[in-house]
Amino acid sequence: MDWLYNFPFQLPINLGAVDDVVRAFSIKYASFFDVIRNTLAFLVNVIFYALNKIPWFIIILLVFVAGWRLSGRINNGLLYSVLLLFVGSVGFWNLMNETLSIIIASVIISLLLGFPLGILVSASDRADAIIRPLLDTMQTMPVFVYLIPALLFFGLGKPPAVIATTIYAIVPIIRLTNHGIRQIDEEVVEAALAFGSTNMQALIKVKIPQALPTIMTGVNQTLMMAISMVVTTSMIGATGLGMEVLIGVQRIQIGRGLLSGTAIVIIAVVLDRLTQGLVRRTEVKSDG
Amino acid sequence: MIKLIKKMINIVLLFILVMLVITGCGGGGNSGGARKEIVFANAGWESNMFHNAVAGLIGEQVFGYTWTEVPGTTAVMHEGLLAGEVDVHMECWTDNIPPYKSDLEAGKFQELSINFDDNYQGIYVPRYVIEGDAERGIEASAPDLKYVWDLKDYPELFPDDEEPGKGRMYGAIPGWEIDEIMHNKYLHYGLDETFIYFRPGSDPALQTAIISAYEKGEPVAAYYWEPTWLLGTLDMVLLEDEPFAEDLYFDGKCEAPAVTVTVGVSNKFADDENNADFVEFLRNYTTSSALTSEGLAFMQETGTEDYEEAAKWFLAEHDELLDTWLSPDDAKTMKSFLGK
Repeated sequence: MDWLYNFPFQLPINLGAVDDVVRAFSIKYASFFDVIRNTLAFLVNVIFYALNKIPWFIIILLVFVAGWRLSGRINNGLLYSVLLLFVGSVGFWNLMNETLSIIIASVIISLLLGFPLGILVSASDRADAIIRPLLDTMQTMPVFVYLIPALLFFGLGKPPAVIATTIYAIVPIIRLTNHGIRQIDEEVVEAALAFGSTNMQALIKVKIPQALPTIMTGVNQTLMMAISMVVTTSMIGATGLGMEVLIGVQRIQIGRGLLSGTAIVIIAVVLDRLTQGLVRRTEVKSDG
Repeated sequence: MIKLIKKMINIVLLFILVMLVITGCGGGGNSGGARKEIVFANAGWESNMFHNAVAGLIGEQVFGYTWTEVPGTTAVMHEGLLAGEVDVHMECWTDNIPPYKSDLEAGKFQELSINFDDNYQGIYVPRYVIEGDAERGIEASAPDLKYVWDLKDYPELFPDDEEPGKGRMYGAIPGWEIDEIMHNKYLHYGLDETFIYFRPGSDPALQTAIISAYEKGEPVAAYYWEPTWLLGTLDMVLLEDEPFAEDLYFDGKCEAPAVTVTVGVSNKFADDENNADFVEFLRNYTTSSALTSEGLAFMQETGTEDYEEAAKWFLAEHDELLDTWLSPDDAKTMKSFLGK
């Protein structure tokens, strides 16, 4: 009766062969992957360099003004700048820039790839049917499953961190761009077409502006997803605040972990509120 | 009336549910008594799992236990041992657990024996970097590389892709005490002028960095330790350093001594009368770095992933260990199981 409760057979899958193929692949196309790695490293380095060149008080001032103008309340601007001041005053300013450079690079790539892809998917039901399970996989596949092969291809450090973050963070921008365009009233689009606009014009002048609030929510979600990967990517050698958390946790230095964890939360909150302010502004605009 | 009946039914159902929960929990809590399950710590590397399998097999065959492993990081495993959620930790790398000494002195867990203390750790480079490899067509790129501080002259051999012009040396896993020591060493020998001290984040990441460089035949300089299958399989050279001196060690001014790797048990497990004979066996449990590597190499060579199989092979191969670990009768039981 054993076969009732235990699965009676097992396929003889040669997992070792998969390992060998992946490794051979990484060696054979090493120069190709080197190009990608160097490009990503360059992108991250440029952003990091730029962030480091901006004096800290200018950044805080910018956040203050942005927080104030976007929410319409001066208190919010004050709160965000005080929070950032805290991050700086506990000695995390440079680490924050390092972390931000990875986040920003990933978000840029996510938007560059995700936005057009979202539009494409919104135009075709078949593309939607293909992409949807793919997106589900990207969001639920345990990160380390593709992180380790990424290391074989791209080495350790920030380039594979950007790739892993992008895989995770690109999903909401695709989904929400798609969703935003699909939910537009068809009559609006029909009216535009009736007035003689081409498909392209209808897309740029009618569909995207109409869908903008939803798309901006996608941008916001992409950003949040990217931030949530900070600690995970430190496990493949990405430096910054995530590494501080990792060291704190590994050594059971609760204070150190808590402090750097708080800094990450602050960055997340500030960026979230600022981009949500943007979302609200687009909502107001498209209503009026 | 109907409402009342419904209410009654609900109450009865709730009562049954509560009873089920209570008895269910009770059943779990009282399961002590005879032999139960040993929970081994699995801190994530091969030799740890190998020793778990060896001790687990003996526990199973001689003392009638079942056994299981809990995976986690070094720090988590240590906490588990203190909390009694982990029964036995076969490989406490004492230097990599900062609170080890103070916790031991405070009696939060018990140290039963020294598993091995003849291991190496430090900065390794592939042998082909120094001596070349005619078979693979690799020329020696740094024939004069011998000491850790020699690295300073070869930044272009080990390029870092985040900071152009500098070299990269892979440090230890962040959070391990040796990581701080390696970083001190890096500063002490002035390697910071030409090199980046790169923290790989986790052991799989460090392994991947070394393996992928090795397979491409590229130079790589990285912290690693023995006994591991990695250093059992790849031909790597440990860069030399000043001889060990205790007062210089923490500042990274000398080589790392062998780490004492101990067998630790939780108080809960050790204080349980029923476990006395198994604890006595663990008190005698000592191996060596070479013996451990032998077991791991067996697995690598035969391609098996079954640690129990490796443990069986290992104990059959080295049945003299059983005589020192176990009482004569128990050793006999074990040997007859192994077919000796």
